[in-house]
Amino acid sequence: MNKRKLVAAIAVVGAAALALTACSSGSSSTPSASKVTLTMWTGFTGGDRPGYAQIVKDFNASHPDIKVVQTVESWDTIQQKLPTAWLTGSGPDIAAPSSDPNVIANYVKTNSVLPIVTGSGASKVNSAQLAPAAVKELTYKGKLYAIPANFASLSLYYNKKMFAAAGIANPPKTVAEFEADAGKLTLNGGATQYGLSLADNQTIQMWPILQWLTGGDIVKSNGCSDLSSAASVAGLTTWANLVQNEHISPVGQTGAQADSLFAAGKAAMEMNGPWAAPTYKAANVDFGIATIPLAADGSKVTLGSIAPLAISAKTKYPKQAQEFLAYYTAKSTQEKFSLTTGFPPLRTDMTNDSALKSDPTVQIFTSQVGDAKLYLPQLTNATQVDANAYVPLIGKITRGTSVASATAAATSTINSLTGCK
Amino acid sequence: MTVTHRVPGRAARTGTPLTSGGAAARRPRRRWQPVLLFMVPSFLILGAFVIYPIIQSFIFSFQNVTIGGPTSWVGIDNYVTLFKDSQFWNALGITLEFTVASVAVLVVVGFILALLLQGESLANRIVRSIFFFPTIVSLVTIGLVWKFLLDPNIGFVGGLFDLLGIPPVSWLTSTSLALPTVIFVNIWKNLGFAMILLLAGLKGVPQERYEAARIDGARTLQLVRYITIPGVRPTLLFTTLILTIQTLQVFDLVFVMTDGGPIFSTDTLVNLIYRDAFTNYQTGYASAISFVLFVIIVVISALQLRFFRYNDVD
Repeated sequence: MNKRKLVAAIAVVGAAALALTACSSGSSSTPSASKVTLTMWTGFTGGDRPGYAQIVKDFNASHPDIKVVQTVESWDTIQQKLPTAWLTGSGPDIAAPSSDPNVIANYVKTNSVLPIVTGSGASKVNSAQLAPAAVKELTYKGKLYAIPANFASLSLYYNKKMFAAAGIANPPKTVAEFEADAGKLTLNGGATQYGLSLADNQTIQMWPILQWLTGGDIVKSNGCSDLSSAASVAGLTTWANLVQNEHISPVGQTGAQADSLFAAGKAAMEMNGPWAAPTYKAANVDFGIATIPLAADGSKVTLGSIAPLAISAKTKYPKQAQEFLAYYTAKSTQEKFSLTTGFPPLRTDMTNDSALKSDPTVQIFTSQVGDAKLYLPQLTNATQVDANAYVPLIGKITRGTSVASATAAATSTINSLTGCK
Repeated sequence: MTVTHRVPGRAARTGTPLTSGGAAARRPRRRWQPVLLFMVPSFLILGAFVIYPIIQSFIFSFQNVTIGGPTSWVGIDNYVTLFKDSQFWNALGITLEFTVASVAVLVVVGFILALLLQGESLANRIVRSIFFFPTIVSLVTIGLVWKFLLDPNIGFVGGLFDLLGIPPVSWLTSTSLALPTVIFVNIWKNLGFAMILLLAGLKGVPQERYEAARIDGARTLQLVRYITIPGVRPTLLFTTLILTIQTLQVFDLVFVMTDGGPIFSTDTLVNLIYRDAFTNYQTGYASAISFVLFVIIVVISALQLRFFRYNDVD
């Protein structure tokens, strides 16, 4: 009987040890006498992925005492895992929590991220030289809590063959030409070819650009909706009619579907970021890239997008993590990153960089950084505004609901979410 | 002196000496059973990964919670909010519609398939395997593949329609077609599973009943109605119950194919829970919705058990 008890006890202890081993997800960093390992999670799974991998590789080569290990997963996976991972201290030292910069607000609220040390010097982030809109977006209560991992502006990709076949010599320069060309380039009601590939959900938003071109906006600086303003309603009506009546674009596309449509040679134009260029090149699309056409009032505008890169508040190596972020934003790093990915550099003091000036793709996207507006900037519940108000709005107006009533409903939702009175 | 009495016709209890007064001595101790100790690992795992999260989630449903952030008790506010939330009622309606349509078709068609394919010929086995194959493929894979196939512009179905001169159909971007399309894919995926369960039930119906009924002149449809269906009622109950519980919690297929769109026309309760918990960081509110879903599943399961009640004489 004693032997049985002993066997049973050993079985229990062994099983418990197994269970506890399974529970442990391992520490985020491996303390070592000579070398520090930093873990980093990002969601850069697209055509720009080699650019980030190169930054990590170059940093590791130039810093023998620090090794950065990057894990790339989908944004959905990171959004699910990161909050609890950082809470329990088992998460990465550095992470890009989302492609949406507004999520940083939640991590600041939960004290999950460290403020970035700014200033001049090798181990500090020179925030004065970073794009002001990006720095403002990631600053809370006077402290910078993340750096932009990238700053993308959207440009107009166009299919050169389709333009030539339609007898259009150049990509549109004004919003009026843009509307006209989209109609001219739509063949057979879209069955053969669409003039413009628009996405309205699960995407970096394109419809705000169409609104800004005609003078409207989504949310004003006071947090109140601008969707019911005359300019917004007029602009949305124009484009909704083009989609519904002239079928210039399929309805309800996700960002991935819009990209696939252009890559498949079934759409003549698409507004997209620099990450798409390698994909279209691989798909053998004969494409050109142009700046977004001028707005109705002659101004330049496009959508800017940043993905934040932040340091965990529970990292064992804040100094080394800080050093990596400083390296990330250095001139030489940003030059190489831009040339690899086509993204504009994060820094504003690189406009005369000769290598960047000679790259046409980088030039196009860089030239628009100064005119780029962020989508729902500094709105802490931006994801709810997007999911519950803006995406349904576009879905409704492109499916026949009157713009007036749809914008009224969206305005009501946005104002209740933002607390606008 | 101890006197041992023995009751005639009864074996003496081994090792149970009687005292002089005839009363039995106190019971001997049971032999110690280590079986409970062997179950402890399972209890530990269940406790850590199932019971604790359920209890914690229930507590969260009474709080305003952001993971890692400050927590405050709000009582039943989350439940009050959700009952006033139009998105919740929309998601509930869609979930129920999804479940009723899927389960009804799965059980009926699965039963018909099981009846037709119950023979053991090679052809039947091959066809059964073909139907069962989607069951073993992950929902995410199936969702992604169907999403691509159904793309009206670059998908296989769109290309086929183009060849046949049929205008393309926006299966997943039309507010009226998106839900039926996802229901169809769900049925396609699970039909083999329903068929196999019901096939197992059919195999358990005694053949003598059929023989006796044929002798009495019963025709095929009468055999199905009076012998087969009552005979497989426990299996029908089990199949319906399992499919209902599973379908009420549908998430992967919807998330991958439509993410609840277009304009929330395929937004299910678990999709809403995911969005509130992981995109909107409203863990407390999401927990409240999940417990309401739990109650709904319990009620529907209880109703089904009542509906399918049967006596042993059946």
